[in-house]
Amino acid sequence: MHTKTTVVAGGLVAALALAACGGGTGAGDSGATGGGASGSGGSGSGGKTIKLVAAEYSKDNTAKFWNQFKTKYEAKTGNKLEVQIVSWDTIDQTSSTMIQNNNAPDILNLNAYASYAKDDLLYSADDVLSPTAKADLLPAFVKSGTYKDKMYGMPDLSSARAFFYNKALFTKAGIASPPKTWAEFEADAKKIKALGKGAIGYALPLGPEESQGEFSIWTFNNGGTWKNGDTWAINSDKNVKTLEFMKKLAVDDKVTQNNPGKTNRQQAFDLFKSGNVGMVVGFSPLAADLDKEKKVDYGVAPMPTADGGTPKTFGVTDYLMAFKKPGNQQAVKDFYDLYYSKDQVNQFIKAEGFLPVTKTGLDYFKNDAKLKVYLDTLPNIQLTPTDDPAWDKVKLAVQQNLGSGVGPSGDPKKTLDSLQKTAESSS
Amino acid sequence: MATPSGAVTSSDAAAPAPARPARRRRRTVGQRASFGSALLWLGPALLLIAGVVVYPAIALVQASLSRFSVTGLRLGGAGADNYRHVLDHPDLGTVLTNTVIWVVAVVALTVLISLAVAQFLTKEFFGRRLVRWALIVPWAASLVITAKTFVLIYDFYYGTLNTVRDHLGMSPVDYLGSDTWILPAMIVVGVFVSVPFTAYVFIAGLAAIPGDVYEAARIDGASPWQIYRRITLPLLRPALMVASVLNIIYVFNSFPIIWTLNDRNPGFSHDTTITFMYKLAFKSAEKDVGMSAAAGIFNVLLILVVVAIYLKVTSWKEETR
Repeated sequence: MHTKTTVVAGGLVAALALAACGGGTGAGDSGATGGGASGSGGSGSGGKTIKLVAAEYSKDNTAKFWNQFKTKYEAKTGNKLEVQIVSWDTIDQTSSTMIQNNNAPDILNLNAYASYAKDDLLYSADDVLSPTAKADLLPAFVKSGTYKDKMYGMPDLSSARAFFYNKALFTKAGIASPPKTWAEFEADAKKIKALGKGAIGYALPLGPEESQGEFSIWTFNNGGTWKNGDTWAINSDKNVKTLEFMKKLAVDDKVTQNNPGKTNRQQAFDLFKSGNVGMVVGFSPLAADLDKEKKVDYGVAPMPTADGGTPKTFGVTDYLMAFKKPGNQQAVKDFYDLYYSKDQVNQFIKAEGFLPVTKTGLDYFKNDAKLKVYLDTLPNIQLTPTDDPAWDKVKLAVQQNLGSGVGPSGDPKKTLDSLQKTAESSS
Repeated sequence: MATPSGAVTSSDAAAPAPARPARRRRRTVGQRASFGSALLWLGPALLLIAGVVVYPAIALVQASLSRFSVTGLRLGGAGADNYRHVLDHPDLGTVLTNTVIWVVAVVALTVLISLAVAQFLTKEFFGRRLVRWALIVPWAASLVITAKTFVLIYDFYYGTLNTVRDHLGMSPVDYLGSDTWILPAMIVVGVFVSVPFTAYVFIAGLAAIPGDVYEAARIDGASPWQIYRRITLPLLRPALMVASVLNIIYVFNSFPIIWTLNDRNPGFSHDTTITFMYKLAFKSAEKDVGMSAAAGIFNVLLILVVVAIYLKVTSWKEETR
């Protein structure tokens, strides 16, 4: 008995020690194997292991896509690809912990890249992207992925916002067509609200999840912007007017849902899906949900503008950035070559319900009637200043604080002034 | 996860009990174990402590003294800057006030309710076993799931509570968005998940009080209230101490409830030190791992001080009795 327990305990110690060692050297492994292989050169260097950390766009499709991609990549190049899918809630935490521990992935899929480029952690497109792949990217995304004259952020997919309206509520309220100006919009929202029974004119999400997106599309259609050339313009007159208009909708007209400064985008979408909301700013994945549920008869239209001018579209793209690590350059290049091949990038975008980032992608999707309203605007899309490292902090400040400007005691001018100050001190 | 049960099980695991103690009389009390076999017995626990307590603590201190980029890259030493930035943070006062209200309210309400529940569950009644089982459920459920469930109950538009209010002809309340309601709403959930463990500690404590003490008191003509105050409560003291200290530590460090119920509110106005720390590192405009680590050190110090004060006050009462 006695000796037996001692042996068991000893085994435990050994197992723990082994486990500890395994964790410690796992990261080093990939670097070590790569060193020899990269010397051989050529396209099929082979034998290298690289790691992808990717954000999860949907439970159903993201892992499925990357796993088939892994199989293809490994068969084609002889390299190994480790895939780690991380939820959007925690990916910031995951990536910053990895970098803090000197254990960065080879490729990271995230909505920001400029700070990483500033810290000199990334390969530029000149190092890892083939000229054909680069030439195929839509110019708006090349521009947004470029920091200090070099492209570091390779777009993986994009989305564009559009104006969704509930046709049933519009008919009931006697509204013939979607509004073209803010004045029309406000009048329509009031008519829907007047229907009673909890009807909401417009669902306005300015909570901490994505308030920069909601504000962008409104202020872009009022001639506002975040940055004018190299100077921040967060508290410009146009922006202040925009936020004052939103506060008016929430506080004076009361045509929005309860507490817009504390409503997240998903909650606004859920309200729209319930059929009680007249209008909301949505994007293609919301359309996909609505089509699946078939509960709400909706229409998609361009955004109303302040003065009835040409509508602008707010777009978002996320990035695949590659970390400089000894010996991984060729493997990363192979990764991008495969990702930007037509059957990969478009397959991913289609599965997730987003929009293309390449010219050939525009062509690929052009027959999809559902996407027409977005695709038409895609080449002229207006984005947030993701090419400025300061934006990575400004965005967080906006998410946390913009909502306070539209509360009953909110002061739009003061809110934007303080955000302007944050932006200037972060630059 | 839902209660200090983690602490209880890990201390169980650290002291492996012999499987059949009656048969193993050969090993007499007081016999010295050799250094080697002692090390083998303690080895796993020591390794575990080194790996999950000592190393992270060292890493925490190191991080708090370093300057980090927003990407997580270490840029160099920071001296005491991170600590200074935490102390200078404009929302620190709000966060500390929230933390005090949260801990005091949750622990006090939990102890009071648990005392009543435990008293009730020591009585014999039909279906007692069922009620005892029901009490375990909130304890067994994952905290995040419980918190999410309460989000559904509290929600302004779809929430159960507002549906009930609607039926009663009352106007809806924005439990999770209004500045007056959010903290009480979170405290209710905190109490809900803390009562099971605490009540069980008290049930065990009550069961350990010998019946003849009560019999003697009754013979002396003590009223039920006198019996409760003069006999039950003093004899329940060890259980009260354990429950309070564990709950203070645990409630103070509780993350999921506040994170889940408060996620739609911008800024720091309803955060406790734990969620404050997390936001500093990953969600706020600061996005600074170093500053967050410094806040973490303050957090550890704070809890040590609070528990020390609690123990001091309670033992001081014992000495003066």
